[in-house]
Amino acid sequence: MKLLTLIAAMALAPGPAFAHASERMVIQTLPTGWYMLGAGLAVAITALAIPFLRHLPKVRATCLFERPRLLPPGVTNWLAFGLFWVLVAVGLSGTPDPKENLLPLTVWTVIWVGMTLAVALLGNLWHDIDPWRAPVGLLRAALSRWLPQKGIGLSRLEHWPAVLGYLSFAWFETVSLAPSDPAHLARVAASYYLLVLILAVLEGEDWPPRGEFLNAYFALVSRVAPFWAEPRGDRLRIMAALPGWRIPTLPPLSVSAMAFVTLVLSSVTFDGLSETFLWAGWIGVNPLEYPGRSAVMGVNTAGLVAVWAAASALVLGAIALSLPGGRSRHVAGPLMLSLLPIAAGYHIAHYFVALLTDGQYVLAALNDPFGRGWSLLGLPEHWVSFGFLSTRSGVLAIWSFQFAVILVAHLAAVIVHHSVWRGLHLPQTLTAQLPMTALMVAYTILGLWLLSAQTIG
Amino acid sequence: MKRDDLKVTPTRRDVLKGLGATGAIALGGLSARYAQAQSAEPIRIGFQLHRTGIGASYGRWYERTATAALKVLNDQGGINGRPVEILFEDDGTDPRRGAEVVEKLVMQARCDVVMGTLFSHVVMGSAPRAGELRVPYLVCSEGHHVASGALNRWVLQPGITDVKSQVQSMAPFVTQNLGRKVTMVFPDYAFGHDHRDFFTAAVAAQGGEVIKHIAIPPTETSFTRYFPQIPRETEVLYHVMVGPSVLTFVKELGEFYGSGARPQLFGFIDSLEAVAIDSPGLEFLEGSHFWEGHPRYRQDDAGEHEDLYRAAVGVDANGASVTDPRDVSTYSHMFSVWETLFILKRAMEAAEYRGPADRQAVVEAMEAMTEFPEGLEHPQGPKLFNGRTHQAFGLQSISQVRNGRLVRVHRTAMEDGFYPDEVDYTTMSF
Repeated sequence: MKLLTLIAAMALAPGPAFAHASERMVIQTLPTGWYMLGAGLAVAITALAIPFLRHLPKVRATCLFERPRLLPPGVTNWLAFGLFWVLVAVGLSGTPDPKENLLPLTVWTVIWVGMTLAVALLGNLWHDIDPWRAPVGLLRAALSRWLPQKGIGLSRLEHWPAVLGYLSFAWFETVSLAPSDPAHLARVAASYYLLVLILAVLEGEDWPPRGEFLNAYFALVSRVAPFWAEPRGDRLRIMAALPGWRIPTLPPLSVSAMAFVTLVLSSVTFDGLSETFLWAGWIGVNPLEYPGRSAVMGVNTAGLVAVWAAASALVLGAIALSLPGGRSRHVAGPLMLSLLPIAAGYHIAHYFVALLTDGQYVLAALNDPFGRGWSLLGLPEHWVSFGFLSTRSGVLAIWSFQFAVILVAHLAAVIVHHSVWRGLHLPQTLTAQLPMTALMVAYTILGLWLLSAQTIG
Repeated sequence: MKRDDLKVTPTRRDVLKGLGATGAIALGGLSARYAQAQSAEPIRIGFQLHRTGIGASYGRWYERTATAALKVLNDQGGINGRPVEILFEDDGTDPRRGAEVVEKLVMQARCDVVMGTLFSHVVMGSAPRAGELRVPYLVCSEGHHVASGALNRWVLQPGITDVKSQVQSMAPFVTQNLGRKVTMVFPDYAFGHDHRDFFTAAVAAQGGEVIKHIAIPPTETSFTRYFPQIPRETEVLYHVMVGPSVLTFVKELGEFYGSGARPQLFGFIDSLEAVAIDSPGLEFLEGSHFWEGHPRYRQDDAGEHEDLYRAAVGVDANGASVTDPRDVSTYSHMFSVWETLFILKRAMEAAEYRGPADRQAVVEAMEAMTEFPEGLEHPQGPKLFNGRTHQAFGLQSISQVRNGRLVRVHRTAMEDGFYPDEVDYTTMSF
């Protein structure tokens, strides 16, 4: 009864409403519909024109230069290991303000947003800062006598543990009540670290790249990178190719890897969708007096899973429609590789504003890590500033970047799709191309719409 | 230009030194008592901050204002000679999290009081927990929830007027200067309904009439189809649209009227808080009037305390950040944090606060307060405090958009905002 009274009181609570200057206010005045139309047409024309090309350009990676390794292998991993536990300590005992505490800033901005961008551009940098790699190697060497010879059977589960890990992570980020609370995040991060450490020690060093979600995620995203490093002895060859060009050379995705890729794509899509007025309307919430996460936790949990299911069904359905008569079963694995550029591109576009805003908090926190009034980076007081989100030029620049990323990602996806298609010697008919083309055009438009729609907050 | 001609802007440090000196003079007679303070243990103020969630853009400025006020407060000698700390804890602009944060601040961080909440639903969700924990909970929300009697004795709103008082006090100016036949356009939910109800009644009391209510669904993205509902005889169009469609609303309103005759426009700055008034698409607002809680642009008659406040918070004469002229502050609301902190100081000193056992005495001391004079501690203006309803009353500003700036053309009288008490918290038990 007390709860009912409280809810009734809250619903009737007379109070002010607070708008704020966000880029979503200014972007409402930009002709974003034309951009969506243009991008959709560009993707459609590309997809429908490619079958008429006799040859697709060959995959050619160029070696830009070679350089010696600067540090022996493992050093950066040990540094990352140390830094991780320092950050956990900062999360537990530092300021509770999530925009000043370096743990949430590192997890949500530096790693989740910044690292994805870096890996999508420069290859799998995560490999060098993976905080498990070095201690797992050391512990396995030290404990080899007692460890099971063939692991504990986790490898047989392929990507499924990573799917579970990623789903939990996406829920924690998008749905849970306080993902940025430093102490809470520290406990969650430390628990997850220890769990993976134990499993990897028992199973072996080869398990995390497939079974641990961060390793699996960055390994997949790195495949779209136009630059990457290839080790050759104690030297590194710095390579370059067009974005996504290496994808068709990858082995086909297993069922669990397909689930992982669709989850990556749909979780970020849901993060965007769940902030829109459209979603608020669907779940019966007034977006202008958004009740907060606690009130929508159940429905958003269902939404996250539903969007994943819908995205998987749509992709598999489009592939099945392309190749009727059960022929699609064996080609879904290779064909779904074409989702990788879209997943990476949408992630970068979706979090771009967060990078520009929360990225400032990261620098401000590094400028004065202990709140002592220091200025290690020479940043002045009140340096963090969001004025660019309320100017037409600022918002147009952000939108143009997002538009370019989405368009390039989808064009790369179309080309990857055709490249894989040809590699499988599948029929080059227009009807076979239509379902996936329609899906990619729809996703191009959806992605841009999510980036420009009215959002809560 | 000679070097000597260059204007030297005082640094923040200079300003704070100046503030410290001002404070020291003002407090002169009390300093002896400060020196005798028995404990040097800091007083800990828990700040429930909208750091993430829909309140985040307000939270950023609330944090900035609170931090600035805290420096001034400590430079003045703190509270009862004890230094003061503020612990900012993110409530995610969520009521359940808000209640958790109140508990965390009180039980784990051992804060003496909790303050700073803006969004009404977070106040409503947190206030019961504050009551259970028997901790003073000072909100900076502008909501009518405190004065309506919906909360408990531990909740007070001493640093900002409530929306009922604000809306009602606009009516005399509107009917006497802009017109007596009013059409109201508002979003169709509690916030818009408050404006509809409070203002319609207030206009009638002034002899005017609201001739049409146009309620817009909250998720609307285009408004053109609603404008033909505005009656031709409308003399004043009262608009309180909020959310990401505000620029679209104004732009389409401008397209609807074109360059022809239009009614007078009257709005609440809540629509455009933290939005530059010279933003593209807002040209149609030139000449229109707005309620402002605290004039965003420095007015020609601004006193010294106004300049000191701006300098301390790091806001320029246009209400924007000193580091970025496009980063407009939430100027009409954030003063409440500053003022609340100084009211808390006065109450704690009056209660001779020593520790959590004296929390009740702080509430009683605050209830006994009646008047806050305009000055460094109250840069927005003088206030009267009603200890029975736990709500402050003050002066409101009506500003006109002139050349893309907001210029104050009227300041309401204190009594314009009065209404009969709806509760007497002092009769409630603690």
